[in-house]
Amino acid sequence: MDGNEAAAWGAKLSRAEVIPAYPITPQTELISQIAALISEGIMDAEYIKVEGEHTAMAAAIGASVAGARVFTASASQGIAFMEEALWMPPGRRLPIVMCMVNRAMAPIGGLRPDHNDALMQRDTGWIQLYCENSQEVIDTVIQSFKIGEDKRVCLPVAPCYDGYFVSATATPTTIPDQSEVDDFLPPYVHEMYNIMPGEHKPTGGSSDIAKARYEVEKAHERARGIIEEVDKEFGKRFGRCYDGLIEEYNCDGAEAVLVTMGSMTGTARDVIDEMRGKGKSIGLVKLKGFRPFPTEEFRKLGKKYNAIAVVDRNNSYGSAGGGIVSMEVARALYALDDRPLLVNFQVGLGGSDVTMRQIEYMAEETLEAVETGKVKSVVDWVELHDLGEVM
Amino acid sequence: MELNKLFDEYYEKSYIQGGTTCCPGCGGPLFWRLALEVLGANTILYGDGPCAYCAIRNIKLPTFGIHFSFAADGATGIAAALRVKGRKDITLVSSAGDGATGDISFGKVSAAAERNENMIQICVDNEAYMNTGVQKSGLTPFGAWTTTTPLGKEAPKKEIPMILAQHKIPYVATASVAYPKDFQKKIIKAKGIEGFKYFHSVIPCPTGWRFDPAKSIEVIRLGVQTWAWPLYEIEGGILKLTMKPKRRPIEDYLKAQNRFRHLTDDQVKHIQAMTDQKRERLLQQDGKRIIF
Ligand code: SF4
Repeated sequence: MDGNEAAAWGAKLSRAEVIPAYPITPQTELISQIAALISEGIMDAEYIKVEGEHTAMAAAIGASVAGARVFTASASQGIAFMEEALWMPPGRRLPIVMCMVNRAMAPIGGLRPDHNDALMQRDTGWIQLYCENSQEVIDTVIQSFKIGEDKRVCLPVAPCYDGYFVSATATPTTIPDQSEVDDFLPPYVHEMYNIMPGEHKPTGGSSDIAKARYEVEKAHERARGIIEEVDKEFGKRFGRCYDGLIEEYNCDGAEAVLVTMGSMTGTARDVIDEMRGKGKSIGLVKLKGFRPFPTEEFRKLGKKYNAIAVVDRNNSYGSAGGGIVSMEVARALYALDDRPLLVNFQVGLGGSDVTMRQIEYMAEETLEAVETGKVKSVVDWVELHDLGEVM
Repeated sequence: MELNKLFDEYYEKSYIQGGTTCCPGCGGPLFWRLALEVLGANTILYGDGPCAYCAIRNIKLPTFGIHFSFAADGATGIAAALRVKGRKDITLVSSAGDGATGDISFGKVSAAAERNENMIQICVDNEAYMNTGVQKSGLTPFGAWTTTTPLGKEAPKKEIPMILAQHKIPYVATASVAYPKDFQKKIIKAKGIEGFKYFHSVIPCPTGWRFDPAKSIEVIRLGVQTWAWPLYEIEGGILKLTMKPKRRPIEDYLKAQNRFRHLTDDQVKHIQAMTDQKRERLLQQDGKRIIF
C-alpha cells in the first residue's frame, strides 16, 4: 500500500464524516481513493468536491464548527492557496486533520517533495507530524484525530509525508481492524465551538486577544505530552509506536547524531547501521513532531552528544543560518550552558534524491567537526558538492 | 415613551438586538430584521463581509463567519455536517456583501451554486466596499462616485442574479427593503425550496451614496420605481417580475444621491437608455423560461 492509500484508509478507519477536497499532485491519489471507498460503500462520509483549496479548508472549518469529524489533504501550492484559512482552526480550536503531502513550491522546485510547503505554515498553530512510510501514515492519521480531539488539546493536526517517496511508494502496511480503531477513537464530541441552534455559545470579544492566543500556545504545550500518551496507547493496542515527537535510532554510545525528517529517514537508517558497523560513532534522530517543537527533547540530546547535525530538506532565503529545522534546533540548544556543535546541511531540495552517499558525507563531516571541535560552514549545501560514486 | 415601549417589545421578541453598530439610515439592520422575522429561530447564519456583518453582529441566532473572501464555502461545510447529523429542520443562510459576492468570492458563490448546496445565499448589496471607506466593487453601478472611481465608475454593475440563474439553481430572487411584503414572501419561498437559493437585495447606504439618512427608504424605493433595481424571481428557470412599475426617469433616482452628482447629461442619457433596454427586455421575458 502506498502513502496516499494509507492516508485514505486512515481517514476511513477514523470514520471521518466530512471530506472537502481539491486535487493537487501528489495528493490526488489520496482523494481519489477516498472517493472510491465511498462509492464502493466501504466508507460513509460526505465528500465535497470543492473548487479550490481555499474553499476546501473553509468547508472543513464550517463542517467542524457544526460538529463533524473532518479530514482533508493538500500539497504545495494548494497549502499556500489555503493559508488564509489555515489560521482559523487553531484559533477556533477545531480538530480538523489534514494530510500535507509535501511537494516543493514553485518556481524552483517541480512536483517532487521538500518540506517548505508545510514548514512555512509553522506559525499558524497546526500540529505537524512527519511520517516516514505508509505504515506510519495510516497510524498517524488515526492518532491525529485522537490527539487533536483531546479536550486538553483541541487543535488541528497535519500528518505530513513526502510526495512520491512516501505518497506513491508501496510498502508493506498493516491495516488496523475497524472495531479496534473504534475502541481507540470514540466518536467526536465537540465542545469548544458550537453553532447549532439552541446550543451555540457566543465567542469572546477582542479584548481577550492575548489570552486567547496564550490558550492556543498552552494547548500546544499540553499536546507534547498527549502526542506521546496517544502514541503509547496506540502501541499497546496495535503493537506499533513511534516514540512521540522524536525517535533516537542506533544512538547508543554515539558522539554525534544526524537529525532527519520524512522519507530520508529510511535511507539514513541503513547508512547509520552500516557506519556503526564500521565503528563510526554516529547515531540518528528522526524528528517526527515539528509542531509542537520538541524543545526539551533537543536539550536532552544536546547534553548527550557532542554534535547535532540537522539535515534540512527546505531552505529559508536570506536566513544565512541554514534551514528552518536547524534554526529551531539552535534556539532549543541556546539555553544550555554547555552547548554541542550544531552542523547544518541542506539537501534534497525540490525533491532531488537524498542518496546514501550524501548521508554518509554528512555523517563524516559531522564526525570531523567533533574531532576538530569546529564547524566548517554555517550551512552546507550538500548538493553543490561532487561526491563522486553513489555508495 | 410610547415609541420606546414599542421598540422594546419588538426587540424582546426579535432575533436581532435593538441598537446597531451600523450608520444611521443603513439598510443592513432593516434587511436582517425583515429576513429574521420570517427565517425563524431554527436558523444558522454563516457569513461575513464587513458592512453586511455589522448588522449580523447584533443577531441572537448562531452566526459564524471567517472573512469576506470566504463566501458560501464555510456554509458548504455546515450543510454537509447538517446532512451527516440528519438535521433537515435547520435553515442555513449564507450571507455576503457585494464585494464578496461579485469580486473576491465570486468563484465560491458560483461553485456552491453549481454544487446546488442546500442554503439560502444572500447578497446584501450596498454597491461598494463601504466598511473600508467607499471603494468601487464589481457591483458598483455605472457612473457612481467612489474613492477609487473619483470620476465615476467606468463599467456597468455585474448582473449577479442573472449569472447565478444560469447555474440552473432552483430559485433566484431580487428584493428591496422598501417592499417588505415582497421581500419576506421571497425569503419564505426560498426557505421551502431544497438546494441553492440566491436572494439579492440592494440596500440603501447613506454614507457611501451620499444622501440624508432620513431619506433611506425613499431613495431605495426610487431604485425600484425607476427600474434601476427591478424586482423579480426566477423559479425553475422561469422569470417572474414581482413589481412592474410604470416607467419613471432614472434621473429621479440619480438626483437623490450625491454619488451621481457629477454625471453629465450625456451620461444620464446613457444610463436611461440602458435602463429602458433592461426594462423592455424584462417585460418581454416576464413569465417565460429564460434559462436553458
Ligand atoms: S457604510 Fe453604508 S452599508 Fe455600511 S453601515 Fe454605513 S450605511 Fe450601512
